[in-house]
Amino acid sequence: MSNETPPGTGNRRSFLLLFPLTVFAGILSSVGVAAFRLLRPRLASTSNENWVDVGILSELNGAMPVLKKIATDTVTGWAVTRELHQVYVLAGNRVLSAVCPHEGCEVAWDKSTNRFSCPCHESYFAPDGARLTGPARRGLDALPSRVQDGKLQVLYESYENNSAERIKRS
Amino acid sequence: MTASQSDVQPKRSTGRVMSWFQASGAVVLMLICVQLVTGSLLAFYYVPSVDHAHTTVSFIEKVVSSGSWIRSLHHYGSQWLPFFVFLHLVRLRLCEAYKCHRVQWLTAVILLALVMAAGATGYSLPWDARAFFSTRVAEGLMAGLPLVGHNARLWLLGGNEISTLTLSRFFALHVLVIPFLILVVVALRLISQTQRVALINHSTIAAAVVFLALAIWTVRFHAPLGPAVADVNADYLPRPGAQFLWLYESLKHLPGGLGSIVGVVVPSLVVFVLLLLPWFGVGFLKHFSQHRQGLIATVILASLAVWVVTMTATSYLSDRRNPRTRQQLLKQQAEEQQFRARPFEATVLNLGGAAAQTQPGAPPAYIRFCANCHGAHGEGGRQGALKFPPLIGVGSKLRRTVDDVVGLLNDPTAYGLEPPMRSFATKLTDQEKRDIAQWVVGLK
Repeated sequence: MSNETPPGTGNRRSFLLLFPLTVFAGILSSVGVAAFRLLRPRLASTSNENWVDVGILSELNGAMPVLKKIATDTVTGWAVTRELHQVYVLAGNRVLSAVCPHEGCEVAWDKSTNRFSCPCHESYFAPDGARLTGPARRGLDALPSRVQDGKLQVLYESYENNSAERIKRS
Repeated sequence: MTASQSDVQPKRSTGRVMSWFQASGAVVLMLICVQLVTGSLLAFYYVPSVDHAHTTVSFIEKVVSSGSWIRSLHHYGSQWLPFFVFLHLVRLRLCEAYKCHRVQWLTAVILLALVMAAGATGYSLPWDARAFFSTRVAEGLMAGLPLVGHNARLWLLGGNEISTLTLSRFFALHVLVIPFLILVVVALRLISQTQRVALINHSTIAAAVVFLALAIWTVRFHAPLGPAVADVNADYLPRPGAQFLWLYESLKHLPGGLGSIVGVVVPSLVVFVLLLLPWFGVGFLKHFSQHRQGLIATVILASLAVWVVTMTATSYLSDRRNPRTRQQLLKQQAEEQQFRARPFEATVLNLGGAAAQTQPGAPPAYIRFCANCHGAHGEGGRQGALKFPPLIGVGSKLRRTVDDVVGLLNDPTAYGLEPPMRSFATKLTDQEKRDIAQWVVGLK
């Protein structure tokens, strides 16, 4: 199209302007919507509760926290991700997540000082998981647990970091 | 018709058809943008590894929202792109761009080579049967090159054989190297644009119409995804994408060994001559081709067009006419449809060494008494001179049902086992024995 418009073609010009603009807006929005839908994070479904065996009750009775590793399977996109988590079993079949509520490192049981210590930022927790000192804002998180057929089972969950209250991560 | 017009007016034809023809550049630009956007989106899910490529592509196809459409856009866009780049070259030939707009001419020729290379490397990525065979053919074409064939094959494959390294190479070329070169070429071309671009002209309208057509086409037709390489039968008939049917058909009619010449050497020469064309009018080259630039370009472009159209039509017709081929292709199509309809199956991935630990479901009693010797997964092991057999697959052996394994735990010698395997009759409860037996027999 030339720049000098002959008089009387204003309508045709505005139509010609409208058409590609509409189509390009259509292209951008349709591809944009498709891109948004495609990139939207895929949330693992939390509806089905997945109880995992921790161990046999008879083995777990001890004064000291017992470190156990449990594996969970989560549907994550095209893969089922099998992940290992550490938990501490306390007297009375309480199960603590080893994940430090500060930044999510895994705490270790320190026999000599009789407390849990976090290797990352030096948060310390009492044998029952209560917060002692350090940057963590709450004690270690207790996981839902139950006893079935003589086995201790736990429902593994993760919680928000750095909150004073325990908030389940979703 | 248009050719004779523009020969008379070499600068810029103002004819109606010609002005639509000039829109080819905008269409090419639009298609390149579509390829870049859809390609980036696909890369968010794709994994270039032989054990995950097909899984991730099926995930994009079956599960990801809009994934199927985005992949179809990318697939068919890659087939439309060479066609419009070629049209663009023809248009540049008609206005004799190699004389007055050298950058336009050179970038268009390079672009044609690059989009073909992008198509060739992209075809391997889904790692379905089709991809595997196209990789085989690329391997063969490289290996058949004179002088450099041996090394060209090794460099293409990244080793002696087609492997996951090959797929990584194709991936790197397809998503990093070639798109980067395409961007450079497109940038050069756009910088050289002196003419002010109006917001509306034939170009934008043509680009919009072609996108609409592509969008409708891709909603109607899915990008093909064949069975995984591992599931291919011997009677599988691979067919390349539309932009490579000419090569596929040519290879059928050429004596073996000439394929590399037609598939690699001749195209390279064609690109080389087209690139040199602007300089055929100057210097010493002038002596033998003073007024023949136009003729050379016409001959090359016309023979390319005739060859590609003839070969593509021949391959299409021969597939339709041969009843057995036709039947097999229809069967493959039906199988593909079935595969598409089946729900997606996820792969298991171990995060943080979970594999080395217990499998979920391994009974605690197994971990306590058996895992030390037979491994946490039942994979077997050795301690010094002692070897402990793997338990995986034990269920398919004779006398190894669940009841047999319970009996075996009570009295190993009765089942032909020797120390250090000992009896667990008193160490385990009956329930524990049964748990272990059930788990072990189920190991695969």
